[in-house]
Amino acid sequence: MTALDAVSVYTPAFRVPLEDLAEPLGLTDIQVRLFRRFHGLDRIRFDPDRSLGELLRAAVDGLTALRGREDRVRYVVHGRAMPVVAPYPHNPLHDLCRELGLGHALAFTVTQQSCASGLLAVELAGRLLAADPTEGALALVLTGEKAFTRDAQLLPGTSLFGEGSAACLVSADGPRDRLLSYACAQRGEFDAEFGEQSERFQREYRSSLAEVMRRAVAEAGLALDDIRLVLPHNVNVVTWQRLCLLMDFPVQRVLLSNVPDHGHLFCADAFANHRTATEGGLLREGDHYLVATVGAGAGATFSAMVFQH
Amino acid sequence: MTAPDAQLDVELRHRVVEAMTTVLKRLVGHEGPITEDLDMADGLGVSSSMGLELLLEVEEQVGIQIDVEKMRPDELRTVGELATFITGHSRPW
Repeated sequence: MTALDAVSVYTPAFRVPLEDLAEPLGLTDIQVRLFRRFHGLDRIRFDPDRSLGELLRAAVDGLTALRGREDRVRYVVHGRAMPVVAPYPHNPLHDLCRELGLGHALAFTVTQQSCASGLLAVELAGRLLAADPTEGALALVLTGEKAFTRDAQLLPGTSLFGEGSAACLVSADGPRDRLLSYACAQRGEFDAEFGEQSERFQREYRSSLAEVMRRAVAEAGLALDDIRLVLPHNVNVVTWQRLCLLMDFPVQRVLLSNVPDHGHLFCADAFANHRTATEGGLLREGDHYLVATVGAGAGATFSAMVFQH
Repeated sequence: MTAPDAQLDVELRHRVVEAMTTVLKRLVGHEGPITEDLDMADGLGVSSSMGLELLLEVEEQVGIQIDVEKMRPDELRTVGELATFITGHSRPW
């Protein structure tokens, strides 16, 4: 059973107040006030001094469980929202693998599910490891990216993206955190990138996410009440407040404390929230938790995973 | 859920409706009268993001803070339903 053996997260110390982003992003006064009042945004994390490779490296540097086990890493999967991040022939992921002594691993990037690609990377890593005959094989899943354009920083009326990264060591049968289920709905008709169907996407967003969350819980053989904590994507607070009402799930059990402090860290939200939950003692051994996210771009993906800590 | 009408502050609700009418006219460019039975999404074309802008402006104009944590947008379809919810689920700013 796929397991997250270890998780390391890097979030830059540098944070920009929401109001300071108004001018560079062309936000109106009402947009800023909406972000603060209902979306719960306050400060957004950026790391102007680190490139993408350095951002990922910062997360891997904290992954002590990797040290001395590099030779067992068979796969490195970068789950990323943006399809293109460096001009050809540069490949920051391959450069990083060489730096880390992981040049032997099969390294690739998945972006097809936008901000849901991080969960896809975990699922793919688990499937690859399950089919790999090498004893003790491991995978390294990386998330994190640079918010280097206006489009990469702003999801109008919804969220602001920040920078951070995560590195997870995945095994096929580790003792923790065991992946019990993965539910995913790919909805090509919600093409947010080109503006088609955006109204319908907004209307059906919460019910679509609720559907995959319920499905993941059911496939794990659990009921929603068994979920100790939800680790959300940090898109905004109001979406989760309303989703919780829709699902009759207490919003106090959704970890939203990083929304004002981070912004939406693309695919790294789930792991940043995992760190907050474990460091804060919010998850005890044996607890079940649910990770849920939405990727929107050329089509939308709703996905959820249930883990046992 | 909306609060029972008997407990509603009638004067506050009147101010909420007035503020909503002003904001909605500007937001959606509606020419005709805005009546309480108008469906905000289907009748006025109010999107989710416009709905939040409406709430923010009503808060500021009326001087209240709306308890959005308890709001179920799917159950508040008309202008009147939203006005009743806001009146029953807000406190002075």
